[in-house]
Amino acid sequence: MGQTIKDIFSFEEYPRYERIGLLIFIVIILIFPLVVGHAYSRAVMIKFLLFALFGIGWNLIGGYGGQVDLGQAKNVGFGAYTTALMMVWWNTPFWITVPIGMIIAAFESFGVAYPMFRLKGHYFAIATLCVALVWKELFIFWDWTGGARGVEIPVKATADFVHMQFPSTIYYHYFVFFLFITQLLYMNWFKKSKLGYELQAVRDNEEAAASLGINVTWTKVKTYTITGGLGGVGGSFMAVYYLYIDPDLVMPLDLSILIAMTVLVGGAGSMWGPIIGAAILIPLDMYLGAWLALIGGKYGIDYMIYSFIIMIIAAREPKGIWGIVERMRRKG
Amino acid sequence: MELATQLITYGLLMGFIFAFIALGLALIFGVMNIVNFAHGEFMMIGMYVALLISSYLPLDPLVSLPVAAVVGFFLGIISYRYLVQHILRGPMVAQLFGTFGLMLFLRYLFMLIFGPDVRSVKHGILVGKTLSLGWVMLDLSKVVSAGLCLLLFAFVYWMINRTRLGRALKATSIDAEAARYMGIDTEKMNTLAWGIGGATVGIAGGLLAHFYYVTPTVGMLFILIAFATVALGGFGSITGAFIAGLIIGLIQVIGGHYLSELKFTFVYIAYFLAVVLRPRGFFGW
Repeated sequence: MGQTIKDIFSFEEYPRYERIGLLIFIVIILIFPLVVGHAYSRAVMIKFLLFALFGIGWNLIGGYGGQVDLGQAKNVGFGAYTTALMMVWWNTPFWITVPIGMIIAAFESFGVAYPMFRLKGHYFAIATLCVALVWKELFIFWDWTGGARGVEIPVKATADFVHMQFPSTIYYHYFVFFLFITQLLYMNWFKKSKLGYELQAVRDNEEAAASLGINVTWTKVKTYTITGGLGGVGGSFMAVYYLYIDPDLVMPLDLSILIAMTVLVGGAGSMWGPIIGAAILIPLDMYLGAWLALIGGKYGIDYMIYSFIIMIIAAREPKGIWGIVERMRRKG
Repeated sequence: MELATQLITYGLLMGFIFAFIALGLALIFGVMNIVNFAHGEFMMIGMYVALLISSYLPLDPLVSLPVAAVVGFFLGIISYRYLVQHILRGPMVAQLFGTFGLMLFLRYLFMLIFGPDVRSVKHGILVGKTLSLGWVMLDLSKVVSAGLCLLLFAFVYWMINRTRLGRALKATSIDAEAARYMGIDTEKMNTLAWGIGGATVGIAGGLLAHFYYVTPTVGMLFILIAFATVALGGFGSITGAFIAGLIIGLIQVIGGHYLSELKFTFVYIAYFLAVVLRPRGFFGW
């Protein structure tokens, strides 16, 4: 038990400058809403933290596992719909809906994981994409989920920690940061757990891992299930933050891709990957989009710049931006 | 009975078109093991070529087919030379995201130029006509499109199996290294595969524009159908893509008749079940 707690909170295996960097990052996030009062900047910050949160979850299967999952949005959707529907139907406290959403997302992931991990590489990526699309279309088709109209959570008059509704975005900022830190600590522990080491062995060489007695498929299935559960948490947050969800907001293909892309741009399989990727892509997306709308610019330039960065990274730096940092450190 | 005939006929017609769309994807995957996410966007560009030619020039949209083929051919070659060649050296993840970036880039380039409006081809000798074959009424543009797709599919198939160039392409797809030892310029073969892929799907877009709405985001739907088709038939197998195209066409039309909101869901489920039962597809090797 003591060892587990030590593993969760210890960042000893990271070099000193990374630990200092993490500390500075945390301090910046903590004082940010106290210094910056501008509503849009705060919204950008919350979205950045949300995608860093998604990225950490995805990084388990996509980064440490090396399996390109293009269907994480379905888990976000399960989390969001569980929270929203339970709140609307039974007025359930938020904190009860989160674990239930996680269990549903993890359960579904576990159900589809076994057949899907018979596939590898491209085949697997496209299969995850198809599964996520089937769920999205079903959520649009069904009546009990609100169909394409979505679900609206009734607004409470006062600040409420039971239903997580607040008068100011500052609460949401610290709330999503809390979720981010819990998943960061979980990831820190996961990496050092038996499953984490097995997973990295499987990523680096499946045959060698299998010859050492690691059950390759089972390792992947377990990680995929965990990733599913972690994705649900961000979805639950989205439900109480936006107070309105529909399949196009919480389950679209673009969301799945964006989650994967933030990690890959930042650098898959590292602690910093999701943070760097989200720190670049999210502000770029939001500020560029807002600025272009302001000058009456045409819709689309933001995505073109976006996709251009992605193409350059794919062609020149497949290890992502963190890969550049690592290489510079080894040289210098 | 009448309904069944109608549905099966339509299913097969759509199947020929789906198979032809998937052809280029299967070819590219076969030759260099890379999934081209931008394939649907190439098709969208073919649709815009038909739309522009028929609305700004006094020409029939059918005239646009050779133009769409040429545009698609060069688009494929440029994509290969300036992007794919570089990402081929990287890991699989980089390959997926490289062509994905290309897809987004093309889609939003067209969004920027033409706006998100949904348009359609309004004039043309095939547009809006029906063909009556005794007890079935068929959309003439679909019949002609499917026929042309079938013909062109046969032509590409013949080219790959019977001509010298095609055989070199096939040899590269079976074993690129061995092909290189035999003196085949595999770089040229890769470029050619992208060219053919772009040209075929450009033509498919030109045909599809006759009866399908044109918008910058239309590619996504068709790329997913093409993925399902190629995976069902076995990645890289051209015969497989043909048969899988027919199956997907039938599933989509028959399923869509009974539950029209879910007509594409059936396709994805079919794909999922197929890969689970047989991961390599029907004709994969």
